Amino acid sequence: MSSEAGSDGSKPDRSGTEWGDRARAGLARLVEASAFERALISLAALVLSIAIGALVILAAGRTATCETAATTYFGYGFCYDPFRVYDRLFLGALGNPINPLFDPLHGNFAAPFTEGWTPFNDRLAYTLTETTVLVLTGLSVAVAFKAGIFNIGTQGQMVIGGLASTLVMLALVPVFTGLATVALLPIGIVVGAVFGGLYGAIPGALKAYADANEVITTIMLNFVASSVALYLVREQFKDPDSFSTKTNDLPAGVEFPQLLYAQNTAFSVVALLFVLALVAATYYLLRHTSFGYDLRTSGLQAAAAEYGGVNSARTIVASMTISGALAGIGGTVYVLMYYGYFQPPVPSYGFDGITVAILAGNNPVGVVPAAFLFGVLKSGAISIQTDPNVTIPIQLVGVLRGLIILFVAMPEFFRLVGKRFTDAGRRSREGGSRVADAVRSDGGVAGGETDE
Amino acid sequence: MSEATADAGSGESTLGNTDGRLLIAGGVVGAFALLFVVGTLFPDSTVGTLSYLLLQPGPWSSMLTLAVPITLAAVGGIFAEKSGVINIGLEGLLIISAFTAIFAADTTGSLWVGFGAAILASVLLALVFAVVCIEFRADQIIAGLAIWLIALGFAPFAARIVYGSPNTVSLTNSVPAVRHAGIPVVSPVFQTLSTTNALGPAQALFRASPSVYLMFGVVALGWYLLNRTNFGMWVRASGENPKALDTSGVNVHRVRYAAVLLSGVFAGMGGAALSYNIGQFTGSGQTMVNGKGFIAIVAYLFGNYNPVGAMLSTFLFTLLEAIQNPLQTAGIGVPSDLIGTLPYIGVIVVLALVGRTRIPEAAGDHYETGEDR
Amino acid sequence: MTTAVHLDGITKRFPGVVANDDVDLAVERGTVHALLGENGAGKTTLMNVLYGLYSAEEGRVVVDEVERHFDTPRDAIDAGVGMIHQHFMLVDPMTVAENVTLGSEPRKWFGLAVDRDRARSGVDDLCDRYGFDVDPDDRIEDVSVGVQQRVEILKALYRGADVLILDEPTAVLTPQEVEGLFEVFEELTDQGKTIIFITHKLGEAMHAADDITVLRDGVNVGSVPAAETTREQLAELMVGREVLLEVEKSPADPGPEVFAADDIVVRDDRDVEVVSNVSFAVRQGEVLGIAGVDGNGQSQLVETLTGLRQPTAGGVSLDGVDVTDHSRRRRIEDGMAYIPEDRHEQGLVMDFDLVENGLLGSQHTPPYANRGRVSWNRAQTHAEDIIEEYDVRPPNAEARAGSLSGGNQQKFIVGREFARDPRFVVAMHPTRGVDIGSTEFIHEQLLGLRDAGAGVLLVSSQLDEVRGLSDRLAVMHDGEFMAVVDPTDVTEEEIGLLMAGERPDRFPEEGEPEPSTAATDGGER
Repeated sequence: MSSEAGSDGSKPDRSGTEWGDRARAGLARLVEASAFERALISLAALVLSIAIGALVILAAGRTATCETAATTYFGYGFCYDPFRVYDRLFLGALGNPINPLFDPLHGNFAAPFTEGWTPFNDRLAYTLTETTVLVLTGLSVAVAFKAGIFNIGTQGQMVIGGLASTLVMLALVPVFTGLATVALLPIGIVVGAVFGGLYGAIPGALKAYADANEVITTIMLNFVASSVALYLVREQFKDPDSFSTKTNDLPAGVEFPQLLYAQNTAFSVVALLFVLALVAATYYLLRHTSFGYDLRTSGLQAAAAEYGGVNSARTIVASMTISGALAGIGGTVYVLMYYGYFQPPVPSYGFDGITVAILAGNNPVGVVPAAFLFGVLKSGAISIQTDPNVTIPIQLVGVLRGLIILFVAMPEFFRLVGKRFTDAGRRSREGGSRVADAVRSDGGVAGGETDE
Repeated sequence: MSEATADAGSGESTLGNTDGRLLIAGGVVGAFALLFVVGTLFPDSTVGTLSYLLLQPGPWSSMLTLAVPITLAAVGGIFAEKSGVINIGLEGLLIISAFTAIFAADTTGSLWVGFGAAILASVLLALVFAVVCIEFRADQIIAGLAIWLIALGFAPFAARIVYGSPNTVSLTNSVPAVRHAGIPVVSPVFQTLSTTNALGPAQALFRASPSVYLMFGVVALGWYLLNRTNFGMWVRASGENPKALDTSGVNVHRVRYAAVLLSGVFAGMGGAALSYNIGQFTGSGQTMVNGKGFIAIVAYLFGNYNPVGAMLSTFLFTLLEAIQNPLQTAGIGVPSDLIGTLPYIGVIVVLALVGRTRIPEAAGDHYETGEDR
Repeated sequence: MTTAVHLDGITKRFPGVVANDDVDLAVERGTVHALLGENGAGKTTLMNVLYGLYSAEEGRVVVDEVERHFDTPRDAIDAGVGMIHQHFMLVDPMTVAENVTLGSEPRKWFGLAVDRDRARSGVDDLCDRYGFDVDPDDRIEDVSVGVQQRVEILKALYRGADVLILDEPTAVLTPQEVEGLFEVFEELTDQGKTIIFITHKLGEAMHAADDITVLRDGVNVGSVPAAETTREQLAELMVGREVLLEVEKSPADPGPEVFAADDIVVRDDRDVEVVSNVSFAVRQGEVLGIAGVDGNGQSQLVETLTGLRQPTAGGVSLDGVDVTDHSRRRRIEDGMAYIPEDRHEQGLVMDFDLVENGLLGSQHTPPYANRGRVSWNRAQTHAEDIIEEYDVRPPNAEARAGSLSGGNQQKFIVGREFARDPRFVVAMHPTRGVDIGSTEFIHEQLLGLRDAGAGVLLVSSQLDEVRGLSDRLAVMHDGEFMAVVDPTDVTEEEIGLLMAGERPDRFPEEGEPEPSTAATDGGER
């Protein structure tokens, strides 16, 4: 089947010279190409989720009561205008780069960018702060997924990692005084990685040695982590001078250096670069090392991995440890960038990490754009909140998150749509697998190759 | 290969699991016995207080009430998973129905309408899940997570729109009235007898809310459906060997749709019972459902896909939760945050001990007619 | 006589393949008809059309002299056509009666409950009528494969089938069970039933069928009465050229012992003892064959030898070194190659390309990996070498393993395993589901490796294959070696008895005949 696809490429034009035919053939080929297909499906899922989200917004706008309708469609007034909501959500998160007067569709060719807009604005800074944490949690989930493990516990591992590193750093403050305070940052990151990793290793070991379903155990451990964190902060390590349930503040020197962006924003370019380096390291680990080969093989076909000499139990524990470590670093980075102290509850970065990883097709590099998208969604939610003209509840973002996962989970749907669109029924995927199986049941030939 | 190992005397095959379960069940009974013996001998000790508490109707009553949503969702989950569709989205079904029950009851003023609307909402969400999994061959785990997250986002979203806060209003008038309705004729008798502590648990049983009796009814119905009707046979066959069912002329997709929708029905009842019991839906954080859907999954795994077993294992978890408050009040105990983790840790321990539950052979797999495996 | 089934000009296409090309088939009522052909000839597809699982693009299906349009198996069942698939369509944890009645359950209480008593008695009645010995209350997972097959036949009969289609019914049976099945055929045809059975074994078709139809590449190349044809003629029809029915090989020249298993006991995942006290030795330059019906402990034995499973007792040694505690990875590095029985699950990662698959098992060893880093350049060259040397098609190292045909997948696995220069090879069902051309090639490679001095352990349920290739032949039944025999000095009947767990007088319990004593001597020399 792959050879056929290949020959399609070398003979671009068989049936006709019409542009449409060629475009359709190209599209059909794209739909079959695996890596590209994934990206396409993610994009389609996103678009579809946004479309359905718009319907939800309209429906919500009929249910809610407001003094003046935000918009009117088909003669009905709605309290929320999806276009304005999405405008806030997406452009607000970037600091409003587009000039409202720029409207080429209506012949208004004003300058496309808002005057005075720079990529170093505060809103984008917030978006990138979110992105930085989300890259880590997304990476955490993706690594486990690659090994065939559903780590829903990134959230809990993040909580444990973030709390542990905060407490250790606080405890070491008297030791590292003066200039040595700088050393606390790397120590904190290592401690976060270790504790997150250990907390991730628990469900890994339970899966490897007791066959306990990791989806359930990790979800349970999330509840345990948040309760334990709440207890420790409230009962043992509470900041006595504060009314809120939080730990003591870390000293001023313990933070990622801030460059390019305003001091009052939480964002640090150094932190982002550090996280991007971790992405590169993860990619290298998965793609270019023996361990990465073991991990990917286990994820795709556990029996084949064991056959190939992979110790599956050890690989499961190791992958979960790495996954937990990344989540733990995520917790530490979250604490350091945002507050400089630990305060439960930690926002649901771990669950967003699942979406990020699924949207990225578990590709470590793909995690970066997917995390940015979610950074935009979360930051955009704040823009919505702060805009008095858009009053929609920000839980909308949670709905969008669920919808995106749902649609990414059903590639077959988009394949069907794509197939109908490209009229490529002749080499339908379903038919292909059917013939493969049909003939295989008769004995040998799989995959529709007939040259023997 | 399934034939290959089949003839090697598999009588013992399920024994390993049964052993683990019996061990835990026996352990629980033994622990209770020991507790009461020691408690009677040393009434002033911590154990004495504990055994005294356990003779009160309170914890048992809470245990039953807390078990309702979990057990109902678990029975639903059994049908879905037995048919070959792992419904990890039970949590989402509980959330959506818990909200809808209050919303509809508040809007219409009728608890019955609210109950029906809750089931409807849950079934609709289950239908989305079913279509995505069965028609579009989505990965069941990921789709189930999506169902959870959609409900987790949607219920507070809707609550904010309608009530301006993630929590709904409280239904004050009618709900508390039915909370301890009990059974006509029988319950009053127990009420008069209830002065003795030893009958505390029995009193809890006979002065429970209607939802508790609904739970017992659903458990019985679920068991009967699964084991005595042809639909149940098809459900089991569809999860073990869908091809066998298909070649027998039964439409596998239809059976799986029915099973998943049924899980929506039962989970919907559970969600409604949950929010009715409080009279309000709270939607902040993990919402008031707070992992009950996932505990339901563990409950039926531990109950070996038997509705009765699922209910009993649910009781195990909810009793842990139910004795928290009395313990707190009695002044023994650990901070509530930590006691709160007990059920979750219990789930993990149970899962580790009986990890090797035999899940249906074809659970998690897509099935298409005419496709050879 | 009337025609029970008449297929007229059936054409069934799958994307890229014509599985059936204008096939005609006529089956007389009350006869046994064999559908003979190589793997992939389109036999199962044709029968799936008759059973309503596939609908054909062209052609007519006539059953009982009425033209039919079967959209689903239900339609076929209603018209009296039943099919017993190669992989049994049974629900393991359910009882015989539940399985037989599945989808047609008798009901009571206005349909609110299954009438289990009537289901049970219905099965009993059928058993009485056709002389089956099956207990309706047994669970499928507790009964033997032979009984499971009877249950499948009962299932079809319960639904009123007059025409029974059986897909490769003998594949999992001992020769004696096969005889029993053929007796059932007679009983059924005596009572007016019609039987079509799919097979790729000439002998069975000749022996059991009244008429034989041969398919090749989706085309009917001839229908003949079994009494009027010869094995050679059928073989030529099947393959399209003259074939050698025997494997040609030179006599073995065994050297010192390379591998030994000592009193191995293995338990399966359900903690049932499936291998009991098995001992044997393999010498350099010889092939030790293990024959037996699938499921008699061969899989677990091989997993134990290759390091995928730990024995509960006993040990294995390679070149005199005890390797019982060596991990799978260590054993690969020790020079043990393994062609696994399931290439789809074990031998290849279907979503990896051939470059990545060529690395499987060598991902930690130089020259392919150095200090934890994989050299993709070397892996690429390695895969290309295998592809060239073992004639894997398409010759494209970037092809996804799952896109290759079974024969080419298997050739790639053989190439990869042999490229390790192994001292000892375990080959399990190396040619299962592989076309004849690739089968011959793989056989040559195995013998070539033997002649180069490696020890070979060949496990196969194909009697022709193990008898043809082995220098010594062990017969396994119920986890034990019944005997180790000289394959040239034993009849098929004797092997069949051993496979069934019965011991012909010639093979006494403990004292093994000469070839195996020679093996032990060879080891100690």
